[in-house]
Amino acid sequence: MTEYTPTQTDTVTKYVVVESFEVTPADLALRAYEISQGAMIKETCFGIVINGKKEGVDRIITELRKIDPDHIFVKDRGFPPGDARRCRANLGGARPGYNGMEHEMAIIPYVSHGLEKLKNHDEKTVPPPKNPLEHPLLDVYKLKKLIDAQEP
Amino acid sequence: MTLPVRIAQLSCGPEYSGIQHEIDTAARQVGGEVFYPDVALKDILRDFNMFGLDVRSPDLKLAIARAMALVDGRVEADAVFIATCFRCAEAAIVRNELRRYINEHSKLPVVSYSFTERTTSGTLLTRMEALTTIARRRALLARETQQGITLGLDSGSATTKAVVMKDNKIIGTGWQPTTEVLKSAQDVIAHALSEAGITRDEVQAVGTTGYGRFLVGKEIHADLIQEELTVNSKGAVYLANRQHGPATVIDIGGMDNKAITVMDGIPGVFTMGGICAGASGRFLEMTAKRLGVDITELGPLSMKGFGGRVPMNSYCIVFGTQSLVNALAAGSTREDVAAAACHSVAEQVFEQQLQEVDIKEPVIMVGGTSLIEGLVFAMGELLQTKIVVPPYSQYIGAVGSALLVSGFIKDD
Amino acid sequence: MVKVFIYPATSLILSDMVERFGHTPLSSAIAIRERIQTAGLESPPLQITPEEPKKGLKWAAVEVPAGVRGRMSLYGPMIGECEAAIIINDADLAFGCMGCARTNELIKFLIHQKEIPKLELFYPKNEEEGVKFVAAIKRFLTELGASK
Repeated sequence: MTEYTPTQTDTVTKYVVVESFEVTPADLALRAYEISQGAMIKETCFGIVINGKKEGVDRIITELRKIDPDHIFVKDRGFPPGDARRCRANLGGARPGYNGMEHEMAIIPYVSHGLEKLKNHDEKTVPPPKNPLEHPLLDVYKLKKLIDAQEP
Repeated sequence: MTLPVRIAQLSCGPEYSGIQHEIDTAARQVGGEVFYPDVALKDILRDFNMFGLDVRSPDLKLAIARAMALVDGRVEADAVFIATCFRCAEAAIVRNELRRYINEHSKLPVVSYSFTERTTSGTLLTRMEALTTIARRRALLARETQQGITLGLDSGSATTKAVVMKDNKIIGTGWQPTTEVLKSAQDVIAHALSEAGITRDEVQAVGTTGYGRFLVGKEIHADLIQEELTVNSKGAVYLANRQHGPATVIDIGGMDNKAITVMDGIPGVFTMGGICAGASGRFLEMTAKRLGVDITELGPLSMKGFGGRVPMNSYCIVFGTQSLVNALAAGSTREDVAAAACHSVAEQVFEQQLQEVDIKEPVIMVGGTSLIEGLVFAMGELLQTKIVVPPYSQYIGAVGSALLVSGFIKDD
Repeated sequence: MVKVFIYPATSLILSDMVERFGHTPLSSAIAIRERIQTAGLESPPLQITPEEPKKGLKWAAVEVPAGVRGRMSLYGPMIGECEAAIIINDADLAFGCMGCARTNELIKFLIHQKEIPKLELFYPKNEEEGVKFVAAIKRFLTELGASK
């Protein structure tokens, strides 16, 4: 086995994903370039990837979120942009994480809707979502009613 | 520069087991390039449902969708490598079903493998080489007759074999246990040439196969250095005169075992390996030694016995030998012990390897162990079929090499 | 700021929510970055070497597949470190780092064993559920901040 010497150490990489009718990945990239101050910006189909020192990347993201706060989403990425080990061109196909992102992209509009609504609503007044750990039993009286309702 | 052979990888776990690099390295060493068939989420959802195997692991769902993309021709590939974690039941089911599905619905050669974190590129090399050979050398593998004067050498882990062929006939052979790889090779070549009455200069092309193929091939200036999976299957169908249609080739070797399904002489699905030497020719050699007979006498001896009378567990060569000693001490006959040893090896190959290929008749057994009739009998019982053992079956690799390399004879 | 383990650990939505509402998401990317940025022996693509499944023995026995143990070497330390967790229970299509169902079962079990604040959810399937989903996460994360 050969020695591995990492590059771009002490940096962070983040995806900034946009799911909006008004803002495109290109708009996002343009704004990011303007304020990049040396951070690496790369446009992707979902948005952009930013690599740089943590403080710098955080600053850019804070600015970018302002463009369309309810439709811009951010997550960490392990690899710096364009890394050959994760590059589609080298792998012949998308890395598996891409399909996972595709899945969440279909759900994100509901999350955006939630974020928009909660701007004018106190979250405490919203009823809780269904709890996956609760498996409510059928009430015995309700069961009786159901049985009685059946035609003989 | 020739383009690399495109090997589509369908897998779950190699990146997280730390062995993806080993897979890539093995492929690169034999002119292959591993890639992941590109599918979109909608393809995964549709194809996973269509395939109908309701597994939980998302990466296995992805593997299923990728396999369907290959079979449908949405993604082009030359060969397929299926790899999942050893000891994962869910993945083993997917691995087997995908291998079967691809084999039935496409012409792509497939190899499947279950890895651990200890898997190295060396272990994968022969399999990858076979994949790239089938993809790249279909024309060579289509050869059905030997021409001119050729020499084939099989430098195996246990024995070294050579044959000299002339005009589609075997005219000289040489055989001896492998000691020093190069010396053993030189000795068997000398024997084969002298038996054939031919000088080295008269030989028009030389081919090598087996573990020592690269070392010996370089030394004797071989025209073709080829792994034993494709060579042996070619040799098997040639000697058994089953060059057309389906066949299954089983080779229980000194160090590992091979099971190959063949169609028109070209391997489709193959496995190679053996958990332990308990499932190899080596164990039978030890049995013969313990019973005080020559290995050539083990077969006839075992045919007189009944294996069912002796409890035998040779999953490990050490425990297997222990069972053997215990049985003899408890008064079992040598015949029964010999039969039990044969049955045990056959059963392990059946359980561990033949499950990874779909048995298609005729089943051809080759290699030195195919001469042990008790082993062939036990395998026939397990597979419920009459096994074909062609003439010269112990020289299978050397014959396959001599046959294939006649395609390299230069016209003067 | 509270360290919140997210499940699926590859989730864009959860990673964003945790950070948006002021906490630190513990995700797959963090574990992968650590490996990508650490010198050692070369083992592309993820810089997970065959040593990692051995480290994974801390969470799963040797008869557990190498892929599970290798993944556990990514997640085990994070599960140890996290102070809260958000779990989406119908995350059936998270691939790669979350691509093994057996590992995912073990991760969920270990989180459930831990006495930390947890929020259990399903992915929203319409706008109404989207509102409830975001509100629940916001409430959970705000309370975490208040208790800290």
